[in-house]
Amino acid sequence: MDHLQQSFITEAEELLSDLESVLLKFGMDLTNKESVEAIFRVMHSLKGSAGMFGFSQVSALTHDMETIFDSIREGHATISQEIIDITLRSVDHLKKIIHDRDLVNPSNCKVHHELLATINAITGSCADSGNKVTAPVSHQKRTYYIHCKPSQEIFKTGNNPLYFIDDLAALGASVVIADMNEVPLINDITPDLCYTTFETILVTTKSVEEIEGVFLFVKDSCEIVIEKISDADLLSISSFETQMHALRLDACSVGFKTIKSLAAQIETKSLKEVVAPSSVKEVQVASIRVASEKLDELMNLISELVTSQARLSLLAEQNQIPELSNLSENMEKITRRLRDNAFNICLIPLQTLETRFQRLVRDLSKELKKEIDFITEGVETELDKSIIEKISDPILHILRNCVDHGIELQEERLKKGKKESGTIVMKAFHSGTSVYIQIKDDGGGIDPEKIKAKAISKGIIAEEATLSKEDAINLIFTAGFSTAEKITGVSGRGVGMDIVKRNIESIHGEVTLESTLHQGTTISIKLPLTLSIIDGMLVKIGGSDYILPLSSVDKCFEIKTEKLQAGLSQKVALDGTLLPVFNLREAFNEQNEKPQHTQIIKIHYDEFPVCITVDSVIGEYQAVMKPLTGLYRSRDDFSGATILGDGSVALVMDTSKLIRSLTLKVQASLQ
Amino acid sequence: METSTQTMQSYLTFRLAEELFATNVSKVLEILEIPKITRVPRSPVFMRGVINLRGSVLPVIDARTKFGLSETKDTVDSCIMVLEIKMQEQTITIGAVVDAVQEVMEITPADILPAPSIGSKYRGEFIEGMVKSDERFIMVLDLDKVLSTEDANILQQMSDAA
Repeated sequence: MDHLQQSFITEAEELLSDLESVLLKFGMDLTNKESVEAIFRVMHSLKGSAGMFGFSQVSALTHDMETIFDSIREGHATISQEIIDITLRSVDHLKKIIHDRDLVNPSNCKVHHELLATINAITGSCADSGNKVTAPVSHQKRTYYIHCKPSQEIFKTGNNPLYFIDDLAALGASVVIADMNEVPLINDITPDLCYTTFETILVTTKSVEEIEGVFLFVKDSCEIVIEKISDADLLSISSFETQMHALRLDACSVGFKTIKSLAAQIETKSLKEVVAPSSVKEVQVASIRVASEKLDELMNLISELVTSQARLSLLAEQNQIPELSNLSENMEKITRRLRDNAFNICLIPLQTLETRFQRLVRDLSKELKKEIDFITEGVETELDKSIIEKISDPILHILRNCVDHGIELQEERLKKGKKESGTIVMKAFHSGTSVYIQIKDDGGGIDPEKIKAKAISKGIIAEEATLSKEDAINLIFTAGFSTAEKITGVSGRGVGMDIVKRNIESIHGEVTLESTLHQGTTISIKLPLTLSIIDGMLVKIGGSDYILPLSSVDKCFEIKTEKLQAGLSQKVALDGTLLPVFNLREAFNEQNEKPQHTQIIKIHYDEFPVCITVDSVIGEYQAVMKPLTGLYRSRDDFSGATILGDGSVALVMDTSKLIRSLTLKVQASLQ
Repeated sequence: METSTQTMQSYLTFRLAEELFATNVSKVLEILEIPKITRVPRSPVFMRGVINLRGSVLPVIDARTKFGLSETKDTVDSCIMVLEIKMQEQTITIGAVVDAVQEVMEITPADILPAPSIGSKYRGEFIEGMVKSDERFIMVLDLDKVLSTEDANILQQMSDAA
């Protein structure tokens, strides 16, 4: 039983998070009928399974919520923000009580009864107002019967009944039955008279007035009857449609009564069938859930396979046996595809976090009495799951800062001549081998002077220090910095942005901040696509192999080693410009014999153009990243290591950090 | 009978230069031949580098230099003991190059004598005690203390300053 209950809890958590996200969506667009359906459906399944596994409290609360949404669905009640609020609170509560089935915790028990009471109050008022609500003139499809008997003289007025039929058909799906009983024998026909009567079954969302509009100019010359047959779309029921088409062949008048009774018969029979498939369709399983450890294991195995593959390729190359080479090449193709596939499986869209973000902004802005529109763009952008796991907290923190410190209070905004409600935009997009997430608010921005003053008072910088505007703003990434004038419960405990920066850097990301006073702040996070496999360039320095991330390599030059001076850094004229070059043999203290030629590699570095030297470039290499553990964990000039085809280990350089640290070292030696 | 099995513990003995050392077998995961060790530039001398341990990257230290003995070339007897030790509240796996691995022997904790505090040519803080066996003294090591907080801090500073 325990096992079953556990599986219920997993299921319930999933349903509740679905529910939360639909509710938030619904909160933004209260007219969305689909959302109501979706909410109702989720609640219904939750109620069902809760009851089945003996979670009676969960089941009871869900039942009451369901009642509200049922009446909304039926059109007896109107939705309000109040209802959304209470439902969200109930969802939060349900998340707790699925772990506290019998309400053992007294606070849970209290909240539970409060919620039940509030919900009952709402359901009560729904029932009262139920009758007053007029039937909405919405997009519901209805079926009409239209009888049109044109006068015989109609052609003489320049009208053609066929045009009316075309106009009717344009309003929706239709079946036209022509009654030709009055058509005389061919000898007696007067060609310019009209003998035919039309009956039309029309399914449309338009009102009766609009249908009448079709006959506006011929009202006097035709007999027209328009009746509603049903509030449903009868033509979508196949049996009705076939019968109508059969009647058409008879070519005689059917009459409203016949059709009405036929419709009533079919309607009762098949309405249930119509409703059922639509709800089944959406539950269809498009994906399966897999424990993330299994995926980690899969990725590990793939990494091993890639490594073994590299070894096989090496062996094939050494032995020159055609069959072996063939096999090895084939294996390589398969491995590559398998790797790409597995890699793809581990990608998760940013969407999975969106609900949490929406919820935070919503709750927080309510609490702080600010009105904020949170807009997300590009949330379908995918990132490796290990990155997604680690990026959530930093982003939550940034959003919290935006809502709390960024967006001003309403009065203040109006005073500044801004829109009353603030806007926070979260935008994600790909660029090269990185993914960018930008969080932009149109709030007060950051005042560099304020930051400076604060930093001086906190002793982070010296009083006489001169800082550029950017440097001043970047002080907020320093540990122990908090700019909020008073500490709120929300943010401003001084453990803010420095932790954000550190967390993002731990997944090899970068965070930058731009801010214009009174106009807003933009925080950009740059993230690698994946942490597990990178495209690299295999190089040799001294006796060791190293991997440079291909994304950081700009250009390679070859130079005679004797032309290089001794020392860690020097300037070398390359491509007509004098570029700083770091000699990595010196930096790494390699003692063995120098090669005749040295390769100079120009690196993409944020701050200035810079080069490094390596002894030789071996080629491109798919590097499976392995973390440097234990004692080497704190080394950030190497982002990891990879295993080469011959089983030895090559270190993967983090060029930005390596160059930064070498620059500092050179600067220190100059002083 | 049960008490004796509880108190008897297995120790692995190994050699560094001419001295014998012992460590609790529970700390030793496996013993490897020395593969190609990849040097990590700008590291302290006692850190030999990293090796490929069935697909994981394992840091390797040189026990001789760590213990203040002179450096020598690796021999056929040299091998890597893969150890699981605690460092700053965390358990880490690390390899240690030793000159030779000898045998597993049973030692009763009561037989471990306190190490003489003076006259020892080794850094004393990680020696748990001495055991006498066949007229020779074996030094019992507390491996958790071999990599001290001090070392971890030095490493941290090196990477910050370098």
